[in-house]
Amino acid sequence: MKRISFLFLLVAIAAAVGAVAYTSHAFGQGAGEAAPVFGIKIPRGYRDWKLISVAHEAGDLNDFRAVLGNDVAIKAFRDGKLPLPDGTIIARLAWSYVPSEENNKVFGREQSFIAGSPTNVQFMVKDSIKYASTGGWGFAQFKNGKPDADAATLKKCFPCHEPVKARDFVFTQYAP
Amino acid sequence: MKRFTLFLVAVATMVGVVSLIAAARGHTDGEPAPTFVTEIPQGYRDWKWVSSAHEAGKLNSLGAVLGNDVAIRAYREGKLPFPDGTIIAALHYRNVASAENNKVFGQAQSFVPGPQTNIQFMVKDSKKYAATGGWGFAHFADGKPGDAAFMKSCFPCHAKTKATDLVFTRYAP
Repeated sequence: MKRISFLFLLVAIAAAVGAVAYTSHAFGQGAGEAAPVFGIKIPRGYRDWKLISVAHEAGDLNDFRAVLGNDVAIKAFRDGKLPLPDGTIIARLAWSYVPSEENNKVFGREQSFIAGSPTNVQFMVKDSIKYASTGGWGFAQFKNGKPDADAATLKKCFPCHEPVKARDFVFTQYAP
Repeated sequence: MKRFTLFLVAVATMVGVVSLIAAARGHTDGEPAPTFVTEIPQGYRDWKWVSSAHEAGKLNSLGAVLGNDVAIRAYREGKLPFPDGTIIAALHYRNVASAENNKVFGQAQSFVPGPQTNIQFMVKDSKKYAATGGWGFAHFADGKPGDAAFMKSCFPCHAKTKATDLVFTRYAP
């Protein structure tokens, strides 16, 4: 009898650990310091996520971007599902935009631009209850693994994303 | 009876192993070796991202380079030459200005992928593609492979980056 209840206890503990691990995985909360305002930490494994699209911002930013999505995000993008469901996380990775001497030499002309050094990583995390006042989205920015934008800066994210309300405040569209 | 079951299990295992190998190679079938890759590797759009590039001028393209698990592993470990089984995909789009983004930024600065122009692959198989540095090259526009003359131009150009096993794209951390 005792052995059975011990077994039950073990199963219960395992289930609890599993549930916690699943929840934190689902919301993608990794280790490290949380960014202000929305309390977002760097989601675990984001560099392994699938590609949504790429972009280049000229001018002051002069960067190259890759936008990746967790599985919830990718599924919603591919299904054309709007609004994006809770649990969606979109990662925007950016690098300096630099010419490639090596490529240009091969092409025989100045034409090739590639990703230089990483600048920062931004995330949009969907939680329609927690972030109800900002369209259901929490925003965060990190550089070298540490929060990189103060509260005032992060509060500017949502107003800027508002013009794309029709696509649930997300600028990036899925590249086939 | 028992013996027959055992036989069935053995056959099932064999089939499993063979399809696993085929899957690992990422090919849709086991057709004999062409000089160039003529089948689009399955599931490539789910692969992890290696880096991006913009080619200005005539190409005017915005590209995303993805790698299968063998490729990503080798990139992250800095392993050269790339092992057999590596497949690298280059997804190319027309580089277009985003009027929508520019409006928000208040200046013309934003470029995004337009229509897809082509998809290219490099498939590593040091035996099958021994004559071209171990790489099989592929190019698909609208799902159709490039013609032989065009495909012959891949290797000489990539041979110029021998120090990185004929691969131009570096991994963006």
